[in-house]
Amino acid sequence: MKYIALLLFLLIWIAPVSAEEDPGLALDRILAELEISAAGIKTLASDFVQEKHLEMFQETLVSTGRFSFAQPDKLRWEMLEPVASGFLLNGSSGKRWHQRAGAAVPFDIDREPGMKLITEQLLAWARVDIVWLVQQYRMTLVSEEPVILKLVPLRPGAEQFLDYLQISFDAERRYVETVEVHEPGGDFTRIQFAETELNQPLDPALF
Amino acid sequence: MLFSALYRLFAPRRALLFLLTLLLLGVSLAGLARLEVRDDIESMLPDDTSQVADDFRRLQQAPFSRKVLISLNGSQIISTATLLEAADDLAAALSPEYFSRAVTGPALLENHQLPEWLESRLPLLLGEDDLQRIANGLTPERVQEQLETGYLRMLSPEGWLLKGVIRRDPLDLRNLGLEKLRFVNPISKTRLHDGHFLSADGHHALILADSSVAITDSGEGAKMLEQFQQAADGMLPKGVEARLVSGHAYTVANAEAIQRDLFIVLTVSTLGLAALFLLFLRSLRALFVFLVPVSVVGLAAVAVSWCYPAVSGVTLGFGAVLLGVTVDFGLHVYFALRQNEAEPEVALGRVSRPVLFGALTTLAGFAVLLTSSLPGQRQLAVFAMTGITAALLLALIVLPHLVVSGWRPAPRRLYQSLFIERRRKPLLLLFFWLVVMVGCLWKVADVPVNGELRSLSLMPPELLKSEQELQQTWGNLRSMAMVFAEGGDLQEALGANDMLFELLRRELPDAPVVSLAPLLPSAAVQQANLQRWQSFWQQRGESTRRLLQQAGASRGFSEAAFAPFFADLQRQPELVTVDSLRQLGFGDLLDVLLLDNETGVQLVTLLPDTPQVAALLTSEAALPPGIHLVSQSRFGQEVGEAIRADFLRFITLAGVAVLIMVALLLRRPGQILLALLPVVSGLVVMLGTMGWLGMEFNLFNIVATILVIGLGVDYGIFMVCRGEPGDDRGTRRAVLVAGLTTLVGFGALVFAEHPALHSIGTTVLLGIGGAVPTALLVVPALQRERR
Repeated sequence: MKYIALLLFLLIWIAPVSAEEDPGLALDRILAELEISAAGIKTLASDFVQEKHLEMFQETLVSTGRFSFAQPDKLRWEMLEPVASGFLLNGSSGKRWHQRAGAAVPFDIDREPGMKLITEQLLAWARVDIVWLVQQYRMTLVSEEPVILKLVPLRPGAEQFLDYLQISFDAERRYVETVEVHEPGGDFTRIQFAETELNQPLDPALF
Repeated sequence: MLFSALYRLFAPRRALLFLLTLLLLGVSLAGLARLEVRDDIESMLPDDTSQVADDFRRLQQAPFSRKVLISLNGSQIISTATLLEAADDLAAALSPEYFSRAVTGPALLENHQLPEWLESRLPLLLGEDDLQRIANGLTPERVQEQLETGYLRMLSPEGWLLKGVIRRDPLDLRNLGLEKLRFVNPISKTRLHDGHFLSADGHHALILADSSVAITDSGEGAKMLEQFQQAADGMLPKGVEARLVSGHAYTVANAEAIQRDLFIVLTVSTLGLAALFLLFLRSLRALFVFLVPVSVVGLAAVAVSWCYPAVSGVTLGFGAVLLGVTVDFGLHVYFALRQNEAEPEVALGRVSRPVLFGALTTLAGFAVLLTSSLPGQRQLAVFAMTGITAALLLALIVLPHLVVSGWRPAPRRLYQSLFIERRRKPLLLLFFWLVVMVGCLWKVADVPVNGELRSLSLMPPELLKSEQELQQTWGNLRSMAMVFAEGGDLQEALGANDMLFELLRRELPDAPVVSLAPLLPSAAVQQANLQRWQSFWQQRGESTRRLLQQAGASRGFSEAAFAPFFADLQRQPELVTVDSLRQLGFGDLLDVLLLDNETGVQLVTLLPDTPQVAALLTSEAALPPGIHLVSQSRFGQEVGEAIRADFLRFITLAGVAVLIMVALLLRRPGQILLALLPVVSGLVVMLGTMGWLGMEFNLFNIVATILVIGLGVDYGIFMVCRGEPGDDRGTRRAVLVAGLTTLVGFGALVFAEHPALHSIGTTVLLGIGGAVPTALLVVPALQRERR
């Protein structure tokens, strides 16, 4: 993966940059930059606000919580409001909890295709795993400052659930600031990350 | 007198006699070369309309009995991905020449439409009980709870995946449909991982393969196992090992064991016979005696082929061994002619009577096998009777001319003074015999009958271990009970299957049942379910809408939130059919559980083979029509019962036949009883010793027992018919040598590893071992006491 990134990087900088850059080349350049700048991230912790704009609800569903990530495959998604719930992942197994249920319940992503899909996505965005994302989505560059990408799923059947994703990065292009999940029919979900801390020590008990 | 006359007739025309004999034997050898031999166990099972025969035919349909199962075991350090990759690699490396198909997971998984398909077919698949469960859930509290769960799911990251499901199915009815799937998983302990069979502990993968090699074909089976081993050695990474379990492995193990046994048994019996020859015969002409049984094998086989289209390999093998007993006829003729001081035709005239009657009693013993329901045993009867008759004629007509050329009275040798002459204490001997008899009689009734077919085969420990591991890891795949629901056409069979499933759920609610009924009910049941479903929602549709709106309002659900649910209730689903299930990927399952042949359609339900299942499904009154249970354990019991019944019938018939023959020959009650003493003693010793040693009685013991009866009676007849003391040396020697040759020939089988051969050896060793000393010691002692 790193060799691909290096190749892309060299190609981008060796190639003459013109005022009217080809959109494909611009995307490649941006992706290479994103990958290089994200390569040094070992841990990430952030607050999040999730808004769900859904036809089936009269009002927007808003929830808040905290997201934590540690290389290579540790995740914690913890919703604090309106209910305390969440899950953590360590490798292929993890736990989920809910304030109604009480004790945390273990799970294995190999047995839960839905959780597998979700955790794959979260890990890919936390790591900024460009190679994996390129395999999964057709990408277009919506904006360069800040970087906003639009991603249309390539996997057959995914179009039933997902129209496209829109991802915004922070100014330094090191981590994701906003994710929008647009569904067929007009519903969408927006997750905004704030107070992001990179490479700070995380309590091992989190995972 | 007939044979004396024949002797005189052929004495000057020996060349013609020998030529005719050789011609006959040549023709029989030519016939032997053209025999069609079948090599399977079916000939040893009933071919009538009995339950056993019917069950055996059905057992052949067992879903995993013809499959090759390969279980891969990964060590703790092997990752799941590596293990599954190894399974794929090994499956791909299996040669299509031996493995026609090999899969590492169900094709079903490749179809992502299954959950949605199942959801759309709920109106056809949910029965009255399911609707009652739905009705029980239509309360404000339960609906509130369901929507609360839906709301929380929507807040979670998975929410966007689940939105459509919650809108279409806010009451979680799809769970009722998914519950149906648990009845269509024959591999109970598997979990599916990336389209592969993976064990619960995550350390085992499974390959299910079909093989074009017949399970009874040991030659091709050995090549198949070798190819598997080569593929496993070449493809599997370090830390992963594969074990194959199939009927082929047992066939090959049995064939190899029999080959090893034959070497040991033939070596022991050849050395034993050579020792007997050197000790008692010491003449090249005596070799002709041993040619008698060899010569008649071909004749007997040709006779069987005239009566039956295909000759069982078991019959040929076992029958050829059985005909070894005909060496006795030759021995009696040999000793009568060589050890008697009378002229040959006179000696032949004397010995022909007991030889003839001995042969007739043996024939009578084997004739009762003609009444057997087992084709193999009937073939064996024809084989043995033809062989014995031919051997009798050879021994009395041809053999005398081969053993007496240049006749002269034989000198008395040292060993000829063995036995009776030196004994002076018959009472002590009789007391000892009586003690042995009482001791053995005590345990005669304790011999259990084992009808398990598996007990007739060699079960190598390593194969049993593999099978046990397979069972622990993947569940009881290879010995589940099967229940057949039959009908003249598919719908009739499906109807019977529906009734069976309902019965099982009612009577055995906790039993893990594998059945197509929940997923493929008959068209009539589907229509009835649909009508019930529509009627249910006509009555409750509006109230449910209000319940959902009221409960949803507190969590902010919009009025249109569950519109897809109510729209789906109006849909008219297409009926579930065999074709639609095949399209969904249920083809493998249908091939296993749906059998369509010229006699009709059968649906198979799989259940644990437990006494509760047997008790429920064997009481005819409780069963719907067209339902039949077949299980290994019940089949074993049935075969056991059949063997027990056969044994009693054979012993009774053979006893009666022998008694009639002996009574016709000897006429006087005292002599009849004396003549029967060796056979009775032999049987008592045989059964008593088996009882003391905790041994079981199986299919092969029956035939061996009839052999003991035939030979034991022969010894008694010869001893009763022998001349006065001092003039009976030839008879006693003939009985002694005949008994010893049988013990050496058959007793050597006791060294065999194969259980069938071993059990024959044990039976004959004990039976003849009890009959010969009784004939040689007890009968003369009792005769002396009477005098």
